[in-house]
Amino acid sequence: MIHLDYRDARPIYEQIKDKLRAEIIAGKILPDEKLPSVRELAVKLVINPNTIQRAYRELEAEGFLYSVAGKGSFASANQAANEARMDTVLKQITPMIAELRELGMKEPELLEHISHIYEGGSQDD
Amino acid sequence: MIEIKNVTKSFGTFRALDGVDMNVRKGTVYGLVGPNGAGKTTLLQCLTGVYRTDSGSITVDGQPVYENSDVKERMVYIPDELYYFSQANTRDMMKYYRGIYRNFDMDRFERLKEAFPAVDVKRPIRKLSKGMRKQVSFWLSICCRPEVVILDEPVDGLDPVMRHQIWSFLLSDVSINGTTVVVSSHNLRELEDVCSYVGIMNNGKILSAQPMEAIEENLGSMSLEEYFIQMVGGENYEVKDILV
Repeated sequence: MIHLDYRDARPIYEQIKDKLRAEIIAGKILPDEKLPSVRELAVKLVINPNTIQRAYRELEAEGFLYSVAGKGSFASANQAANEARMDTVLKQITPMIAELRELGMKEPELLEHISHIYEGGSQDD
Repeated sequence: MIEIKNVTKSFGTFRALDGVDMNVRKGTVYGLVGPNGAGKTTLLQCLTGVYRTDSGSITVDGQPVYENSDVKERMVYIPDELYYFSQANTRDMMKYYRGIYRNFDMDRFERLKEAFPAVDVKRPIRKLSKGMRKQVSFWLSICCRPEVVILDEPVDGLDPVMRHQIWSFLLSDVSINGTTVVVSSHNLRELEDVCSYVGIMNNGKILSAQPMEAIEENLGSMSLEEYFIQMVGGENYEVKDILV
């Protein structure tokens, strides 16, 4: 179940999107599995149904969900959605890497950090 | 659902509402915020037909509210200062409301007992604590199956668990039945979650009215609270340092 962090500066619909997306990518929500209805999530999280609707709508546009009229929303089995997301995230980190370079970080240092993450270390280390 | 056009209301020489326009669509949770004395309560009391407006019009589903029991039967209003008959207990008030609201849902009343375990329905309401009196008003209001819910500082006196539970009930009705909620509150953190529309009021006028989505876009890293201070206090607002 999703828990919201009220100290998180991101808008709530983005938090909901990120958590659902992560669960779909991690396979915690299986392909073609039905997601909770808008009402169920609104009532459990005590969030306006519009906000939930918006999160679902955007996840659908990103390809992580599909909706069936009258039945609800389901997780996509779509590998393409995964790749689309990789593309987005890669675009997001590019300017940050450029900033690290400008701040004087050398390539090996950054690569070492990256390998550390790939070996399963925490991102906060 | 609710249309308020150019409404004014004065008390003596004081103009509490100075040309208010407001539109609330069905299924919206409309948060009304503003500093003390902005006119929020006066507006809600005009909207519920407690006050007659000096000019302008207020309609719900196209019908005027004032002295119109057909419209009022579809609305509930929880004011900041609650009123119950002096000796009445919760059961007595339930019977009273059941007599007035045609859609009163007894099944709901029984089921909601579970959510309000601390309220003894046979104890006179005036002997209950402030928070429990508020619980009773929500309990009875939800049972009226209203199309429009008007709330003035609704969470005042309620503990966080109860606030969460009550909002959850209201949002359930919003998503299933398209219930429309207008709520005035100073608890901006809470409004951010539950509202789909926010109107900021000051000096008897609505300064801005926007969907929550649009506000979120304007906010950037600001909280709704900071946004509110900027809207009401102006760009260069600072707290006064005059004690020492």
